[in-house]
Amino acid sequence: MFGRLFWQLIRGNRGRLAVALVAIVGGGAVISAMFNMEIDVRRKLTQEFRSLGANVVLSAHGAGDQALMNESAADGFVNRLGPQGTISSPYLYLVARTRANQPVVLAGTWLDRASAITPWWQIQGEAISARDDVTRCLVGKNVARQFALTPGSEIELRYADKSAHFTVSGIITAGDDEDDQVFTNLAAVQNLSGLVDRIQMIQLRVPGSVVGIQSFASQLNTALPDADARPIRQISETEGSLLSRIQLLMITMALLILVLTGLCVLATMAALAMERRADVGLMKALGGSIGRIVRLFLAEVAVLGALGGVLGYLFGVALTLWAGKRVFGVMISPRLEVLPLTIVLMVGVALAGALPLRLLGKVKPAVILRGE
Amino acid sequence: MSRLVQVEGLTKVYGKVRALDGVTFDVEAGEWIAMMGPSGSGKTTLINILGGLDTPTSGSAVVDGVDVARFDEAGLTRYRAEKVGFVFQQFHLVPYLTAIENVMLAQYFHSTTDENEARLALERVGLGDRLTHVPAQLSGGEQQRVAVARSLINHPKLLLADEPTGNLDEANEQIVINLLTELHIEGHTILMVTHDASIGRLADRRIELAHGRLQQIITISAEN
Repeated sequence: MFGRLFWQLIRGNRGRLAVALVAIVGGGAVISAMFNMEIDVRRKLTQEFRSLGANVVLSAHGAGDQALMNESAADGFVNRLGPQGTISSPYLYLVARTRANQPVVLAGTWLDRASAITPWWQIQGEAISARDDVTRCLVGKNVARQFALTPGSEIELRYADKSAHFTVSGIITAGDDEDDQVFTNLAAVQNLSGLVDRIQMIQLRVPGSVVGIQSFASQLNTALPDADARPIRQISETEGSLLSRIQLLMITMALLILVLTGLCVLATMAALAMERRADVGLMKALGGSIGRIVRLFLAEVAVLGALGGVLGYLFGVALTLWAGKRVFGVMISPRLEVLPLTIVLMVGVALAGALPLRLLGKVKPAVILRGE
Repeated sequence: MSRLVQVEGLTKVYGKVRALDGVTFDVEAGEWIAMMGPSGSGKTTLINILGGLDTPTSGSAVVDGVDVARFDEAGLTRYRAEKVGFVFQQFHLVPYLTAIENVMLAQYFHSTTDENEARLALERVGLGDRLTHVPAQLSGGEQQRVAVARSLINHPKLLLADEPTGNLDEANEQIVINLLTELHIEGHTILMVTHDASIGRLADRRIELAHGRLQQIITISAEN
């Protein structure tokens, strides 16, 4: 009978309930769209920030030849302490000379990591994807111009009494010091300089929050007393700060919308409570306890909230897609995990908005039945 | 016959108005009592107290061995569900429930629902073909018959009827009166408020009130 009464209640008051449902669906749609956008914007921003390259630099203390550290030891600590997804690339720099005795900065590194660590590089020619490729190099655009190098050119570089030949694979345009450098295999540079297993620094792309990155840097500093691990604050803190602000904005807006939706439901339910005084008076006269009667109404409101949440989510998805395309010019992917969140919030708002129904507890059946 | 209702010094005061003033009478089980008197004489107040819809200021109203005046809110709720059945002048059906659902509503608040029993109750009052009609689709007489079926569905000890024919035309009035007569013959105890002397004469006794006081109790057979 509960279910039967429940559906007849909804049918009998569908006009008023439709008004409440519209308010809940409206609130749910905006909430759903905001959370969908918040999650996707967060994901996209994280990806954008990752494209900025390294966010931690681990460098050896000291100056000149003293500013070196052991590659295998440092790399071992990075692998052991780094969060999952950490990408690292060691560097060894030296000033080599060309056959014409012109100085040029030669950097040995893992060029297969270049797209993650230096994603801003524009390479004319071919990037180097094999870490063990000791025959090819990438040259900065200023070096290329200075020595008239193009992809496929040969370059001989000397250091002390050793020399090495490389084929130019690509020309780098970085807009920075890298335009004046030559990049090649780390082991090749170590062999050329006689600094086997020695590096000057490791650049790291570390995922996670600002606090997590700082914690990781501290751990590295403890584990490697001869080195200095420093987060690149500008990137890490901007990322953290921007994401926090977006989150704060979204939470504030969500609360505001929940309050407004609750007020709409409250006004509708207050009117409904007045309309139902006669029904409640009669139900009480027939022996209905107020607990049983109000449970019936609360079930109705909860279902209204859940239905509003589902419909709101669907409208929110449409709103998300529309706003992503029209307002932000990007494709925002709706998230399914927003559905239960929207339903729970809308049921909560509907139940909070149903507070006027508690007034029905004060209804005196004798007064109602007299027609007052 | 056993005594079903014992009213002793029943008083109800609303502010400065004494709606009931020391009313005392008894009702035997199976009796049909007509409660009469001018407007404001306290008839409805008395029936509301006996039905657990209102509480007295003083005095006692014992129905089936329990004093209604001593119940708390929860006790009154159970009392209304189990001991009494109401028939109101305005019918008071839930407008969005069908005839059978209105009857089942009383079952629901009493214990569990039995659709078949509800259907039989409506057939008993001649509404077997109106089970799924909502009140707006029923005539006044039909609505009142639904109310009668609803009042009897939980087998109450006492049937309270407040002007049950007050809103009916002559034909429907006769149908409802015939129903009440049948119920009386079957042994139901009926306490009915009415302004109509001809209907009052159908009862076993007539209790007359004025200004909240009991004026007289007349046994109809003696009067005839």
